[in-house]
Amino acid sequence: SAKFTPLPKMAASIGAVVCRALHSRRHGKFLSIGRGLFSGARCLVAEGETHFGFQTVSETEKGEKVYHVFESVAKKYDIMNDSMSLGIHRLWKDILLHQMNPYPGTQLLDVAGGTGDIAFRFINYVRSQWEHQIRQKLKSHQNLSWQEISKSYQEEELKLPGGSQVVVCDINKEMLKVGKQKAQHLGYSEGLSWVVGNAEELPFNDSKFDVYTIAFGIRNVTHIDQALQEAYRVLKPGGRFLCLEFSQVNNPLFSRLYDLYSFQVIPVLGEIIAGDWKSYQYLVESIRHFPAQEEFKAMIEDAGFLKVEYRNLTSGIVAIHSGFKL
Amino acid sequence: MTLMVSVSVVRCPLYPAQRAFHASALLRRVSDEQKQEPPPSSSQQRFESHPPGDQPDQEPQRSHHSYTDQGGEESEDYESEEQLQQRILTAALEFVPAHGWTGDAIAEGAKALGLSVAAAGMFHSDGSELILHFVSQCNSELSNLLEEQQKLVQLGQAEKKKTDQFLRDAVEARLRMLIPYIEKWPQAVSILLLPHNIPSSLNLLTSMVDDMWHYAGDQSTDINWYTRRTVLAGIYNTTELVMMQDSSPDFEETWHFLENRIADAMKMGITAKQVQLTGEALVQGLMGAAVTIKNLAGLNQRR
Repeated sequence: SAKFTPLPKMAASIGAVVCRALHSRRHGKFLSIGRGLFSGARCLVAEGETHFGFQTVSETEKGEKVYHVFESVAKKYDIMNDSMSLGIHRLWKDILLHQMNPYPGTQLLDVAGGTGDIAFRFINYVRSQWEHQIRQKLKSHQNLSWQEISKSYQEEELKLPGGSQVVVCDINKEMLKVGKQKAQHLGYSEGLSWVVGNAEELPFNDSKFDVYTIAFGIRNVTHIDQALQEAYRVLKPGGRFLCLEFSQVNNPLFSRLYDLYSFQVIPVLGEIIAGDWKSYQYLVESIRHFPAQEEFKAMIEDAGFLKVEYRNLTSGIVAIHSGFKL
Repeated sequence: MTLMVSVSVVRCPLYPAQRAFHASALLRRVSDEQKQEPPPSSSQQRFESHPPGDQPDQEPQRSHHSYTDQGGEESEDYESEEQLQQRILTAALEFVPAHGWTGDAIAEGAKALGLSVAAAGMFHSDGSELILHFVSQCNSELSNLLEEQQKLVQLGQAEKKKTDQFLRDAVEARLRMLIPYIEKWPQAVSILLLPHNIPSSLNLLTSMVDDMWHYAGDQSTDINWYTRRTVLAGIYNTTELVMMQDSSPDFEETWHFLENRIADAMKMGITAKQVQLTGEALVQGLMGAAVTIKNLAGLNQRR
């Protein structure tokens, strides 16, 4: 498998050509979707093999390699997110929560949620909604005594309003550790649990959760269809699947700029900030290999979800896919 | 129908056979549907542009007769997304007095049906679909009511009412359906006036008014058709507004107001005719006067 040492400008294209040449030598055929050099180019691989960035590895190897990538970046994960996306990832996650619009009492499962970004936002959202609801209730009962009013504000202070709960599940213990530390630091304690688990084989019973989210995690899963089936299994009837993931940019000019930024700037940032060039090279390559919006939507429908829709953010850099188990 | 079908049918042949099966089942169901289904009643289907297709349902115990009653041949286990959405919205109506016309009521409705509260995510968070569903439901109830009354008249069991009495009763019956929700109704009206809802709400209003005039026996084919509907829509809307701030027992003030407005409208119709006749008479009088003056001035003589 090819190792890429970045050369100015043509690095990525050379890399893709090399990749294709290798594959055609080894496997005798390749499939390229004519959408540009590497955005969306998918090489067909033999059984039991999959992609790790632009490399081809066996499926068992991929799991291990991904684990090592995240183990090494765990401590700097949040800082890197901020610097790579110029802070925009916060907006993306906020938009995801807004689309989810969780009702108090929702049970959320956040898979590959390592450092807890989605979980914390969920808790904030549910709390602010609850305060709004209490105010509405109090407005309609104008004759409450002061005692009753103070009681209604104090109620549920120790638990999350309405019994909402979020379970953060991640395959990587290091990421969960960072997440727990963050939770302690920010003061989130109630309604939050941390579980180690594999997205392809979730350690939960059937029909347990109202919402299943996976933010920037599903492209690292070896068997995406299995992860989708597991998502279907653990959701209650009527439950919602939400996936926030990098996707294909639809604007060709913007796509060139984006590619330039991805392959030239991000690994360098990775080296400077996290001391890890290769992990971030893997990151940008894995983005290119992930299926485009429509294809992913079809995969979600295959798993049995209905009313599957997607929404592009930042002209396609990121997309939110949503489906319901009906 | 085409909307539903295109989602499932256009896809890459590389994908597993399961989806192809889904699609063919869907197509078969839809084509069956089209043969069986009678033309949908105008007021109910107006804002739902496609008739229900079908998708296999995961839980057989949730089956029950479909909302639109397709006929005995349809298997009870299959329920389309639209039918499920209808069920959720109907269940949500119960929670409206407590939660208002919002996504919260829809979430409670979903919970009441045994679904997860996340199912409310299928709808807008501002509750628009819930209100439109309710209005459409009321309209079809009204249609049925008027239809029954008409049947009774045709069978000779009841007397045919005069137009103004008929309209008064129809509007009163329709407005009475709002009574259980009257406290939160102002909120609903304001949501219906949002730009993205105006096409649908206007549609529902015009179809309701159309229905009322149809059963009142209107057969006009000229400008009257438009003026009558506009007038009735105006009467309905103003009466609705009065009702929202009426605190008299059993809304007596509102019915009184309605009576006056309809009387006004009738008078207006008569007055318009009178004005026209008067105008004609006046013109003829003037013409006569002009001829007389010309005679007196000797201009009419032919020399």
